[in-house]
Amino acid sequence: MELFDTTQTGLERALSGSALRQEAIASNIANVNTPGYRRQDVDFQSALQAAWGEGRSAVEAVSPAVSVDPTAAVRQDGSSVDIDVESAAQSKNGLQYEAITTVLKTRNAILRSAIGIN
Amino acid sequence: MGLFDAIDVTGSGLSAERLRMDVTAENLANAQTTKDASGQPYRRKEVVLQQAGTSSSFGTVLQNAMGGTSAVRGVQVAGIVQDSTPLKRIYDPGHPDADKNGYVTMPNVNTVTEMTDLISSSRAYEADVTAMQTAKQMFTKTLDILR
Repeated sequence: MELFDTTQTGLERALSGSALRQEAIASNIANVNTPGYRRQDVDFQSALQAAWGEGRSAVEAVSPAVSVDPTAAVRQDGSSVDIDVESAAQSKNGLQYEAITTVLKTRNAILRSAIGIN
Repeated sequence: MGLFDAIDVTGSGLSAERLRMDVTAENLANAQTTKDASGQPYRRKEVVLQQAGTSSSFGTVLQNAMGGTSAVRGVQVAGIVQDSTPLKRIYDPGHPDADKNGYVTMPNVNTVTEMTDLISSSRAYEADVTAMQTAKQMFTKTLDILR
């Protein structure tokens, strides 16, 4: 068994994707009153899911990127930010981030005990 | 680092919304001001916001049009503009600024508009605060992995 396997790498990628997603949501919320602003989002889950079965190097190659969300409804002033959508996305993303960190922490604890560090 | 950028981005939102509140407060305070520094009735002001760092260069416009990855940026104030809607005229012959027919030109400030603007910026400010708290919690969770 590798010390840092696909799961470990995948969790790390998910963590950085989730952090970038928070950045995009923060930008959307900051621009809630900016006319013509289009909401941005980060979709790393689908790429990560596809790469997971292909091994560690494929997972490592997943690079989350910010892109403009073309599906969001556009308001009268040309902005596509809906504060309720952003709040929901933010809560969801925060919880996902917390879940990933918890799993990472538990895995680290197991590794530590296997190595013999308390 | 993503989460610090997220905090910076919300910071820009906080200061933009605060400025909107300040300008709304100025409008409300001057709702009855018939003479400003230049002797004219007060005209209401409005804050124009734009995405921070947006450039109108061909490359950026093309990249955005192609749905490419535009970097995450905050919000910035493009300027504070005067509202050009017509000024109100009311009949008040006793007013020191009344013309010879007894009419006074009043500012184009509508208290109801200002109040709704105030609520809008206050709510957006709250949303920014929540976003900043979320980013902070996420960062704390990252540090927690090491413990």
